[in-house]
Amino acid sequence: MRNLRYVVALGAALALIGGALMVMRSGPRATTSTVVVGLSADITTFEPANISSRDNMNIAHHIFDSLFELDANGTHLPALAREMAISEDGLAYTYTLREGLTCHDGEALTAEDAAYSFNRIADPANRFTGNAPGFVFTSVGFKQAEALDPLHVRITIARKNPIAFGLLTEISIHCKDSYEKMSLDQAATAPVGSGPYRLVSWTRGSEIVLEKAGNVGAFDRIVWRIIPEASTRSAELIAGNVDIITNVAPDQIDAINGSAAAAVQAITSTRRMYLGFNQAESFRQTPGGRAIQDARVRRALQYAIDVPTICKQLLHVECERATGLVNKVNANPRLTPYPFEPATAERLLDQAGWPRGAGGVRFPITLQAGRGRYLNDANVVQAIGQYLKDVGIDVNVELLEWASVYTPLIRQRNAGPLFFLGTGGALWSPIYDMNDIARVDSGTNYANWSDPRWFGRWDALIDAATPEESRRLIDEMLQVFYDDGPWLHLYFQPDFYGVSKRITWQARPDERVYAYEATPKG
Amino acid sequence: MWTYIARRLLQSLVVVIGVTLVSFVALQIGGDPTYLFVSERATAQEIEVVRHALGFDRPLHVQYLSFLSDLARGDFGQSLSYRQPALGIVLGALPATIELAVFAFVVAIGLAIPLGVVAALKRGTAVDGSITILGLLGQSIPNFWMGIMLILFFGLYLRWFPISGHVPFLTPLLAGDVVTAVTNLPRTLYFLVMPGLTVATYSLARNTRLVRSSMLEVLGQDYVRTARAKGLAETTVVVHHALRNAWMPVVTMVGLEFGFLLGGVVVTETVFSYPGIGRLLFNAINQRDIPLVQCGVILLAANFILLNTLVDLVYARLDPRVALARSRR
Repeated sequence: MRNLRYVVALGAALALIGGALMVMRSGPRATTSTVVVGLSADITTFEPANISSRDNMNIAHHIFDSLFELDANGTHLPALAREMAISEDGLAYTYTLREGLTCHDGEALTAEDAAYSFNRIADPANRFTGNAPGFVFTSVGFKQAEALDPLHVRITIARKNPIAFGLLTEISIHCKDSYEKMSLDQAATAPVGSGPYRLVSWTRGSEIVLEKAGNVGAFDRIVWRIIPEASTRSAELIAGNVDIITNVAPDQIDAINGSAAAAVQAITSTRRMYLGFNQAESFRQTPGGRAIQDARVRRALQYAIDVPTICKQLLHVECERATGLVNKVNANPRLTPYPFEPATAERLLDQAGWPRGAGGVRFPITLQAGRGRYLNDANVVQAIGQYLKDVGIDVNVELLEWASVYTPLIRQRNAGPLFFLGTGGALWSPIYDMNDIARVDSGTNYANWSDPRWFGRWDALIDAATPEESRRLIDEMLQVFYDDGPWLHLYFQPDFYGVSKRITWQARPDERVYAYEATPKG
Repeated sequence: MWTYIARRLLQSLVVVIGVTLVSFVALQIGGDPTYLFVSERATAQEIEVVRHALGFDRPLHVQYLSFLSDLARGDFGQSLSYRQPALGIVLGALPATIELAVFAFVVAIGLAIPLGVVAALKRGTAVDGSITILGLLGQSIPNFWMGIMLILFFGLYLRWFPISGHVPFLTPLLAGDVVTAVTNLPRTLYFLVMPGLTVATYSLARNTRLVRSSMLEVLGQDYVRTARAKGLAETTVVVHHALRNAWMPVVTMVGLEFGFLLGGVVVTETVFSYPGIGRLLFNAINQRDIPLVQCGVILLAANFILLNTLVDLVYARLDPRVALARSRR
């Protein structure tokens, strides 16, 4: 009798727990009106002028629209503005806004607001340090923005720049009155935007909830969940709790594809991965640093690396080796990727005056890389080190902590003499990709390259009168870069996105994740 | 007692200053953090402007003394990445971690004591062996692996518990929104089950073994034999005579346990996407957000010191010999 009471009590308790579990399972799941995106990194601000990470900018782009925008293929399309005109001298960009625009608080969005959005970024009192002031304005030489009338805004830049039209798509537009009332703290947490979605809530480190503010987007709500651990993101996708995840780990691709809930989209991104030859004066004292000053040595080493095998074995994709620093659609069509020919590499190294010496070593050199930043980066770097050892280079691979050790080295242009790096690119202009090395003293000329055949053509390229002339110059420069450049060409980084089968959404090559492009299936 | 507390608080101040100095130096030796806050295309002049704006152009000792001076006024500075007051950000993440730590603490201690007692009473039997083996396993399994296994089995396969996330209880409660807090509570607990168990496992295993060994020592004492000889019930002997005296090492460990749980949940918070202080500090360290790291470290250190002091006070309360020793001195 006593045992029976225990059994009944246990049964009741289990039923209660089971019932509670069923009720509570209605957690933060994707629904017909909500699309959920799982991100690997948290965001830090909604102040558009302080945003510097792609994840942060992706979310902000749902809240803030721009005057023009670039689609996945790199086509320049109207957004808040319907037309753009460039002055003859190339220094003034005049945009014609659409009529009837408003910000999320209902305030009318006019040319004055657009001009204010630009000028506020440039105001030194605000001490903004994001991508807009630090990269876009620096690159285009922003001078000022002014409203010509309620529908026309003119942006003036200091020097002609053939890629300014694309760079200006990065600038987020908002209304003047609301932002003039806000403190910088308020602007960072409670944005009043002009984009297709408005911010509902931001739980730091957890989730960002947006709701539809206009006619763009098939879902009423977009929830961005911060899920740093790759296996947890994959599990949430397979469980149907999220619809899109970024940065799928290669070892989880099969699990996702094997599920009934989701599939992985692999896409070749515009991010260019390369091994830099740092030709800084400080490295010339070392044998390796001295050797890579010689273009013949740099060319020889191109033949020593089997890039397709690295892609297949370590990145789980087939890839075509890069021929330079621009994306394939804009590459010089006459250039073919360097083949993997270790014998050729050895012969060229011999001819360059670096024969194998004692122990079969030609020269020692240090290869530095940051750890954990790019897809399978540590293994890729180890593989490259081994390939170079195979042709007689005594490579000392140093895998460094990314943020505190490697980044300062790179930014001081002091990494290496060999260094592994990836840099974001674009499809909409080869000059954008080439702009990394626009001047000898460019902050992004991490290799301290100074070939006059490259740098001497920049002014002509900027002033090229016709697209044909521009293309000719670009091809000439890319040939120089291919033959004697400061990069050992590797690959364009593959990106893996997990996408639920209940939605239609296509990943883009430019690392932009626009959830408002998602639509429900059926 | 008050003198003792005052002395401990004074010592605590020295410890906190030491903690700030160590964390400041540790973050600074990594290099100039300015580069993390400027565009990669920034010119040298622009970098210098940002360095000045962030205050990193000042000598290190000036930066540190300035930090201490602000700290004395209760100003922990602005987070470099969030551009918000660091204290507010840390305090915003703290309730979630407290919920996780309390949940794990209750599970760990609530189970460790009966399991440890049972293992001691059944010494040498299969029950004792099983508990000992489980204890060893609990201490050996890395918590990231444990977390992922729980996610795969209970989250993905059985779908009993949510894979990640958090439903706040303390945050609305502290904001005075009792209704939301109470409404959230069942789901708060539901979301806490898997991360809570992950965090609790190591602590449970360690404390089970500690209780067992402490009980074994006490059960062999003369007064326990005397109690049994007097014909007292076994429950009375175990609970009132043995367990009471086995508390001392357990109380010491249990008090510190909560401090460990608060500060040591980084991995679990990352695996379960739990928005607590561990993950916040981990990200802050990666981003070299020095004010945020300093603020979090100071609060965690203060918490540890407070718990240590409490343990000492409880210790004195439980064992009159401790108080006696102090008064003689």
